[in-house]
Amino acid sequence: MKSVLKKTLFGSVLATSILFLGACGGDGASEDANAGNDPAADYPSGPITVVVPAGAGGDTDLNTRIMAKYLEKELDTNIVVSNVTGSGGATGTQTVLDAKPDGQTVLAFHNSMLLNNVFGLTDYTYDEFKMAGVGVLDQSNTFLTSPDSKFQDIPSLIEYAKANPGEVTMATEIGSMTYIQTLQFQEQTGVEFNIVDIGGAADKIAALLGGRVDIVPTSLGLVSGYIESGDMVPLGVMAEERLEGAPDVPTFKEEGVDIVIDKIFYWGFDPETPDAYVEKFSNAMENVVANEEYQQEIEDSWLSPTFLDQEATNAKLEEINASYQEAYDNSEQ
Amino acid sequence: MFDMLFAGFGSVMTLQIIMLIAAGVALGLVFGSIPGLTATMAVAICLPITYGMDPIAGMSLLMGLYIGGVSGGLIPAILLKLPGTPSSIATTFDGYPMAQNGEAGKAFNYAIVSSFLGGLLSIIVLIMIAPPLGRVALQFGPFEFFAIVIFSLTLIASLSGDSLPKGIMAGLLGISFAMVGAAPIDAFPRFTYGFTDMNAGFNLLPVLIGLFALSEIFISAEKKVKKGLNAKLSKVNYKVSIKEYVAQGWNFLRSSLIGLGIGILPGIGGGTSNIISYVAAKSSSKKPEEFGKGNPAGVVASEASNNAAVGGALVPLISLGIPGDTVTAMLLGGLVLHGLQPGPLLMQNSGDVVYGIFAALLIANVFMILFLFMGMKGFIRLLSIPQHILYPIILALCVVGAFGVNNRLFDVGALLFFGVLGYLMIKFGFPLTPLVLGFILGPLLETNLRRGLMLSQGDFMPFLTSPIAAAFLLVAAASVVFAIYSNHKKKKGTSVLNV
Repeated sequence: MKSVLKKTLFGSVLATSILFLGACGGDGASEDANAGNDPAADYPSGPITVVVPAGAGGDTDLNTRIMAKYLEKELDTNIVVSNVTGSGGATGTQTVLDAKPDGQTVLAFHNSMLLNNVFGLTDYTYDEFKMAGVGVLDQSNTFLTSPDSKFQDIPSLIEYAKANPGEVTMATEIGSMTYIQTLQFQEQTGVEFNIVDIGGAADKIAALLGGRVDIVPTSLGLVSGYIESGDMVPLGVMAEERLEGAPDVPTFKEEGVDIVIDKIFYWGFDPETPDAYVEKFSNAMENVVANEEYQQEIEDSWLSPTFLDQEATNAKLEEINASYQEAYDNSEQ
Repeated sequence: MFDMLFAGFGSVMTLQIIMLIAAGVALGLVFGSIPGLTATMAVAICLPITYGMDPIAGMSLLMGLYIGGVSGGLIPAILLKLPGTPSSIATTFDGYPMAQNGEAGKAFNYAIVSSFLGGLLSIIVLIMIAPPLGRVALQFGPFEFFAIVIFSLTLIASLSGDSLPKGIMAGLLGISFAMVGAAPIDAFPRFTYGFTDMNAGFNLLPVLIGLFALSEIFISAEKKVKKGLNAKLSKVNYKVSIKEYVAQGWNFLRSSLIGLGIGILPGIGGGTSNIISYVAAKSSSKKPEEFGKGNPAGVVASEASNNAAVGGALVPLISLGIPGDTVTAMLLGGLVLHGLQPGPLLMQNSGDVVYGIFAALLIANVFMILFLFMGMKGFIRLLSIPQHILYPIILALCVVGAFGVNNRLFDVGALLFFGVLGYLMIKFGFPLTPLVLGFILGPLLETNLRRGLMLSQGDFMPFLTSPIAAAFLLVAAASVVFAIYSNHKKKKGTSVLNV
């Protein structure tokens, strides 16, 4: 019995050490430029660490892991996903900036990094990174309410909120995407919500089911079960056009509120990483997004498999950043 | 329901899935038993492995890890006074003294059987009445959580050892340490002194193992090299009679219900439930002075409640798609990745998977008790390893564990800092548990106070007018008055009620 125990103990300790070694392996990579024609021939020189500044199991984590699974085949190397949580993602993004710029450490994150800068929590933003590209868009940002609330669509919400300023309770997480969406909505329609911090997606769902708040902004994909069961009613989606998976849900635009929000999941490197490495990584991402299996996996969670190259990613981020900055400036006035 | 459960058993009764559950439990036990590695890490590491499996097989492996991870903590808690996980802090209080008295085998018997029965009870509750219980959990908002946290903080009085003032100081110190880093809600960095590393604050794991494990190693490094406990081992007493188990019946039931109740409430979790159950067992005992010196009731209370919290945490996950702790948050991600839609319709739309999960839990619970009983004699042999060999190994594991939390060296520094702090606190007679309790509860207290005030637009009244909140605040007030009274009485030298 004792030997069995020892074996399990030893085996698991060994497995753990290998995992940790894998996670650290990037540091030992050689930086020697290859003499051949292809400047990226020696890349990747070992396992690549993807830093996800969000917890395991969330949408950021899941999207990254799906992409990583396919990238492993494209780049023919191991990809280790490392969840570095804390201070709204700032801890994780900093980790990537602190790592060696050898292309073995990459950041996978979304719009929140821009918000951290807009709200003054970090002194750097997207332009501090060399972007490789985007593989997923979440266009299913929505406002949800309960079936017995006084408003069941956007126009009646605006009417009610105008008549009762400060009374409609909006559940957000201060400084997050849902918070800035709320600010944008207030700015556009001239209503005034009672904005409360409730926490992450799960806490918001609990608060709406428990009847403590009137509106919860979140992604449709996270709550499709509650919509099907009739526990929640979607007021609209912040997309350019109605979603294929939810043709009955109108867009905010149709209802006269011009808010279109894409949550983009981008991959970025330290600014000093050689261009050729980032380009090679970017090409690998493009191949993954073209893969039908990948597309299916992403669509299963109500997201859009879309590839944006380096330039398009930067342009998109710039556009999002400008709209966030504007919403923030307006709210400060 | 029973036909569904039989179908669930049918779907997991394949060799592959049974092996997966067994492997999950074994690996979970290892993770739970090594200070610094937790059930959360075991699930995080294995989650990607399940992606390639079908949903029932994948979730079965994760259930094995969860049950094993929560249970493994009792091994180092009893043998070495090191809580392997936050769920087994209270197990050290009486489990370790029992081992030192040559009753390690007995302590294991009590702990393993309580873990099994506590887990079993909570799984049965989960299977029978998850949906209505989940709806009850929804009634708890910021006002109610604030009141529960206030009540839990008053338990510091019963965990303060000889000196109430020292206990309160330790508790406040814990709350202060929890304030370092980005503040809840507005993420404003506090007490970081310009170090970006401090922005994320201190993680619970380095704090916990620093305070309990490292300090213990430092203390033993002071003493002369001991050859292990060989002499006492030879007359280890394993047997616990049926009569002795029956005597713990009420304690076991109360502790399981506390664990279940706290497990259901999202966000509080097993780290608190074992301490609350311990205090409840102690204050309702006729001989509270025996607690802390090797009273089996303390071991039963802690271990029954932390395993009962597992079923509890799964109640809101299965019935509503709302995770109750860090492990269930990851299980939620696992469900989504396997194409299942968590929420009120999970049971209806994917009943086969849900009942497969229930069956896997019951099987995992059986593997847990089997593995622990089979390994028990081996674990106890650990005590015969000379400390100068055993402790450096544990120290190295603690460092690896602290690093593994977030893959940051900062957490290793924090581990050492809290190790030295714990050492100094022991030297100056300060109790450690109030610090950990303050550290766990401080952020919950602040967050829920601020969220509550946002909901009520600055009005404090809802904290008193919500019936649930009012009830907990009343109990909290009564418990403070009682603590002051008994502390006063103790000083006079009369009967000791609240050590």
